[in-house]
Amino acid sequence: MTRVANYVVAYEATERGNDTVELGVALARLTHSELRLCLVLPHHSPTVPGRVGAVSSPDYQALLEEQSLEWLEQGRALVPDDVVATTHLLYADSTTEGLLQAARTFGSDRIVVGASRRGLMNRFTIGSVANALLHASPVPVALAPRGYKAPAQLTRITCAIGTRPGWKTLLDSLVAFSEDLTVDLRFVTLVEVDAGRRHPVEETESQTHLAGVLEYFQSRSTAHGTITTEVASGHSVESAVEALDWQPSEVAFVGSSRLAQPTTIFLGITAHRMLHALPVPLIVVPTGTDARKPH
Amino acid sequence: MTSQTPYSGGAPDTSTRTGGLSEKGLSAGSIGLLGATVIGISCIAPAYTLTASLGPTVAAVGTQLPAIFLVGFIPMLLVALGYRELNNAMPDAGTSFTWATRAFGPWLGWMGGWGLIVATVVVLSNLAGVAVDFFYLMLAQLFGNPDLADLTNNVVINVVTCLVFMVAAAYVSYRGMETTKAVQYVLVAFQLIVLVWFSVAALLQVSDGTAFDSLAFSADWFNPFVIPSFSAFAAGVSLSIFIFWGWDVTLTMNEETKNPKTTPGRAATLTVGVIFALYLLVAVATLMFSGIGAGEFGLGNEEIQGNVFAALAGPVMGPFAILMSLAVLSSSAASLQSTFVGPARTMLSMGHYKAFPKRFASISPRYKSPAYATVMAGIVAWGFYAIMRVLSTDVLTDTILTLGMMICFYYGVTAFACVWYFRDALHGPRAILLKFLAPLIGGVILLVIFATTLFDSMNPDYGSGSNIGGVGLVFILAMVLFIGGIVLMLIQRSVNPAFFQGKTLTQGSSKEHGHME
Repeated sequence: MTRVANYVVAYEATERGNDTVELGVALARLTHSELRLCLVLPHHSPTVPGRVGAVSSPDYQALLEEQSLEWLEQGRALVPDDVVATTHLLYADSTTEGLLQAARTFGSDRIVVGASRRGLMNRFTIGSVANALLHASPVPVALAPRGYKAPAQLTRITCAIGTRPGWKTLLDSLVAFSEDLTVDLRFVTLVEVDAGRRHPVEETESQTHLAGVLEYFQSRSTAHGTITTEVASGHSVESAVEALDWQPSEVAFVGSSRLAQPTTIFLGITAHRMLHALPVPLIVVPTGTDARKPH
Repeated sequence: MTSQTPYSGGAPDTSTRTGGLSEKGLSAGSIGLLGATVIGISCIAPAYTLTASLGPTVAAVGTQLPAIFLVGFIPMLLVALGYRELNNAMPDAGTSFTWATRAFGPWLGWMGGWGLIVATVVVLSNLAGVAVDFFYLMLAQLFGNPDLADLTNNVVINVVTCLVFMVAAAYVSYRGMETTKAVQYVLVAFQLIVLVWFSVAALLQVSDGTAFDSLAFSADWFNPFVIPSFSAFAAGVSLSIFIFWGWDVTLTMNEETKNPKTTPGRAATLTVGVIFALYLLVAVATLMFSGIGAGEFGLGNEEIQGNVFAALAGPVMGPFAILMSLAVLSSSAASLQSTFVGPARTMLSMGHYKAFPKRFASISPRYKSPAYATVMAGIVAWGFYAIMRVLSTDVLTDTILTLGMMICFYYGVTAFACVWYFRDALHGPRAILLKFLAPLIGGVILLVIFATTLFDSMNPDYGSGSNIGGVGLVFILAMVLFIGGIVLMLIQRSVNPAFFQGKTLTQGSSKEHGHME
């Protein structure tokens, strides 16, 4: 059986779930992939010490299942005809675990989740499921901003790249993602500067690094489209991100290494702060040593 | 183009819309004998149950406390056997509401569901009330300031604290959070240790002669036949049903257990063995320490009857009394949260079958829990508690007595539902015993107990002695709850008659529903 490129879409019947489907559709259109709409239900736990135990029975489970199938149907109705989507009802101890299992069994390329619905001004705040996924996912995780609507076509990918080791893994992932696609690519580095002072040295270093990035990427990429580079500076990561222009039909890529301590947040501090200012979807690529090679 | 691809194999179970009911949600085969027993004990929550029921039971039967605990188990056992048969035959419909509707049709079915909801809502308010008492008692013990314990007697503070507890428990339940297995083991072990400690400390004081009102042990305490009147007996049995409430859970665990054939039965036996031993030990120790007089720490003292350990832990356990506060507080808090699941799911089920307004059937898309029903259960339970707190001189005693009656009612309805539903399936001695005789006798006992206590509760002296116009508060309460249920049922009937016309759930017997063995 040949593997079909596919995305696990973490669906729930909320605004956030709808955002997730929209992002899934946008990415599927660009990369000609299928969507696996997954709704994760908690394992029925018999360990609930309810006095009326007979009620914590399959009856409730059946109603929940019926409702969930209805929800999945609603989710699938959001997917336009040009994208193939299948629906799956999963059981797991936690939503995160269910999504990871689904990604494993479907051989998915990426997992799409919604950012928390409580984000202000359409900006990202990471919800608990997304956060847990970012800590554990071996495949890239795409985060949908609140109220996201899929454009007819994604036209540009911005890749935020740092000088830390692992940037090559990020580029490899981007090469795989943009294989044979007609899409513009923009490489940016973010420079934090003190207000009112110029830091020509850092900007020059960034330019040099970007040249190296460009060379590495162009020698491998099969994408068609213009490639640009940009150095964005601001007194904070957030303001550097805001200094860049962002198009509605754009997605951002960022790499993130899994750090040694399991309790340390998976997203680097820079990437995390970037998220807060970002108005477009973000795809976080694991660049640690155990990151899976892209297909 | 969209497609539905059935997916098979691999770790995540995926369902398609074709295969009706699935058991995929159950974590099959994960529970062994010890685990099942812990769940059983945890459902009963002995520390909470004893503190709430010892007083009212002594008020009913005096020193025959151990005897009534033993006898009270009989109807519970008989009905639970019927429960198990129904649960095996209709696992897709696991509530008294659906069972009774299937057997007797919509009207009795509705009232059966109503009885279950009312009973669980009443126990929620009692649980919260006990938790409030122990919360302030624990603060007093922590800071060495006895005045803090008296805060619970301030009606406003008490009702507001109860609201806070209720909101917290409802929220945890709404979020779909569950007590983990490890926490459950610890809570159960802690309760058992503290209760045994309490009993041993009480007995030591008896032998040292320092007990409050030392009563010499008598074998007669175990003899149910010397209970002075049938009314007293009925009241005692009604309360005993409350103290074993939750035990039937062990019997209905099937697929979840490692060995469905033997584990549930063994766990049920082990659970009831542990609970018997514990209840008898605590009952005897408390009787020997306190006596049944109306003195400060006497079990006959109406002031302390609704929450016995709150009063006795200090004199019995001395500086370690705070452990009792912790045990009862943790057991009632855990029970409060998990008890929300019961009425919420029954309301959801009733909403689904159009027996309740449709919004009760709403499930939170985010947390996958019965959102509206959980909130309603919380509001009603708190409202009930607040009203009782104002009306009754001893809110806890009166709610427990009402509760006993409500449990008798819905257990009774369920027992008869079993007898009637299996009327065509009585082949062989085993079926006759489990599907007919046991639930029939259990149901009749419950019916008699229910009728007797209902009649007796008209007496203004019944329970805490609270009354309205010379009629006992417990009777008025029961009537309000039943008539309220009938009124709501008629309203629902006129708004949306589908359920009452048998369009959503069909009446029949096991033969007609194809549940023949």
